[in-house]
Amino acid sequence: MKPLRIALTKGRLEKDTVGLFERLGYDCTEVKNKGRRLILPILDADGNTAFEVVLAKAADVITYVEHGVCDLGVAGKDTIMEHGSSFYEVLDLGFGKCRFALAGPVGKDFFTGYKSRTIASKYPNVARTFFESKAMDVRVIKIEGSVELAPLLGLSDAIVDIVETGSTLRENGLEVIETICEISARMIVNTAAMKLRKAEIESLTKQIEQAKEEQP
Amino acid sequence: MKKYNKITPEGTRDLLFEECEARRTVEKTLADVFSSRGFHEVVTPGLEFYDVFDPEHSGIAQEDMYKMSDQRGRLVVMRPDATMPIARLTATRLKRQPSPVRLFYNQPVYRSNPNLMGRSDEVVQTGIELLGASGKRADLEAIAAAVESLGRCIPDFRLEIGHAGFYRAAAAQLPVSDDVREDIRRSIESKNYPALDNILDGLEKSPAVDVMRRLPRLFGGEEVFEEAAGLCLSGEAQEMLAYLRELYQSVKGLVPGDRVMIDLGLVQRNDYYTGVVFSGYVREYGDAVLYGGRYDNLLAFFDHPMPAIGFAVNVDAIAQILLEKGEVLPVRPAEVLVHAQDGFEVAALARVSRLTSVGTRCESSVFDTEDEAIAYARSKGIPRVDLVGEAVRTVAL
Repeated sequence: MKPLRIALTKGRLEKDTVGLFERLGYDCTEVKNKGRRLILPILDADGNTAFEVVLAKAADVITYVEHGVCDLGVAGKDTIMEHGSSFYEVLDLGFGKCRFALAGPVGKDFFTGYKSRTIASKYPNVARTFFESKAMDVRVIKIEGSVELAPLLGLSDAIVDIVETGSTLRENGLEVIETICEISARMIVNTAAMKLRKAEIESLTKQIEQAKEEQP
Repeated sequence: MKKYNKITPEGTRDLLFEECEARRTVEKTLADVFSSRGFHEVVTPGLEFYDVFDPEHSGIAQEDMYKMSDQRGRLVVMRPDATMPIARLTATRLKRQPSPVRLFYNQPVYRSNPNLMGRSDEVVQTGIELLGASGKRADLEAIAAAVESLGRCIPDFRLEIGHAGFYRAAAAQLPVSDDVREDIRRSIESKNYPALDNILDGLEKSPAVDVMRRLPRLFGGEEVFEEAAGLCLSGEAQEMLAYLRELYQSVKGLVPGDRVMIDLGLVQRNDYYTGVVFSGYVREYGDAVLYGGRYDNLLAFFDHPMPAIGFAVNVDAIAQILLEKGEVLPVRPAEVLVHAQDGFEVAALARVSRLTSVGTRCESSVFDTEDEAIAYARSKGIPRVDLVGEAVRTVAL
């Protein structure tokens, strides 16, 4: 049987996941010395390929898992909320922590008044869903880069974005108006793979859960 | 103005040659299975009134349907699902038929998917509906037909069974609002353990909360029944579990046990399904290729209450798999090209008819000269050219 194929979000989540697999006793040398390769093996203690790792951009991790070309994936809850649809989300890996927040110019009361608001965000779906749950009709504009610019330039009244420490917001005269939800890295599983390879997948998630408990 | 006259809409595509062959093969195989088991084919319109698919009863979201209006301004949709029209038809034209009614269908369904996800908006589904019958024998008949269907196409499949009522009975014990209950259902559906734990941690500890926590993990082989038996269940849930176990034992007589799985966390379209639910999985495809279940409340929506069970097979997915596995014969060129010399056109056509009547695949040449006809046959890989004049001369290539 082919080894389980895991899609990893490139960058920080990749490093944290590799760290996690090393704590579980797997050999991740190949992934660390990847060069330009995008599909790499993770070896078990006997030197056999235990998993095959695919490195991809966050949203692509979800696409690959959804279509079943990867069995598992590690992606941030932010990406899952923005792009996700049908797969299993089985584990909170506990790293990559931050939060989604609504932020706007310091001291301005966002919620008073009847004027319709404009929101800038890299995550238009998250923004729309959040305001729908508040029964508020807002205009959402998608921004690709530094979203903080939009309210400064007068394009939007507020932004919906990921906030870690809040220092970028502070330096640009913005503050958190409301936290939308907490974010962390998640392990997702393709629906069919979950059914067809249950034993392997559960043994991996159990190992990870144990490792999480040992190192809080 | 920009013209879109050379492409097809997102989510649709043309099928060529062996792709058509693959689809036909699957359709024919399954139609044979269904009709040999006494099911009769029906075709429902591609366009139906939106009201037939009322989201509350069909479980299909408004935004997933392709909509337009008829001449009188009434909302019409392109058939987004095959079962609702069959329920409508059974509740109306077939309502005086003796039960059970056994129907099968083979037609495309249309759903609007988000752009650029690589999903098809047009999918051919084939399946059966067994209407007017409830109980174990009817459930088994539907499952047996599903097993035979998959077995004929991709023998190495896995069948999964669950019970929609099990979750409902367990969730009824939770002292929460409908909104929270829906959040719980959705977390179980996506096996989102973190989200589920989050919601349940906020509730007062109770046996019902415990059951919910375990529910998405209750899938696998026969051991699931043992695990579930350890939970504190309501009488209703216990009855359903016992029924499912009984059914599972019977299904093991149809499929080897290691290919049957149980999932008590199957809570998809929970307002639609009422009893046993089942799906079929294969290694080559990232989603279920067959799914179905019992929907005893649906016919009441069409004012003709009756129990019913059915399933649908994703024909396109299976055709694609057969094609990739090389199990569909490649499209072959004609065996003979018949070319007429001037004045012998009718004689040549008669020869084509004679050859095709004995099963020879045969093309009739439309070229003016022999040389052109022979060059064409070479380029198409046709091995023989018959030149029809006073006599017939055969050229082997």
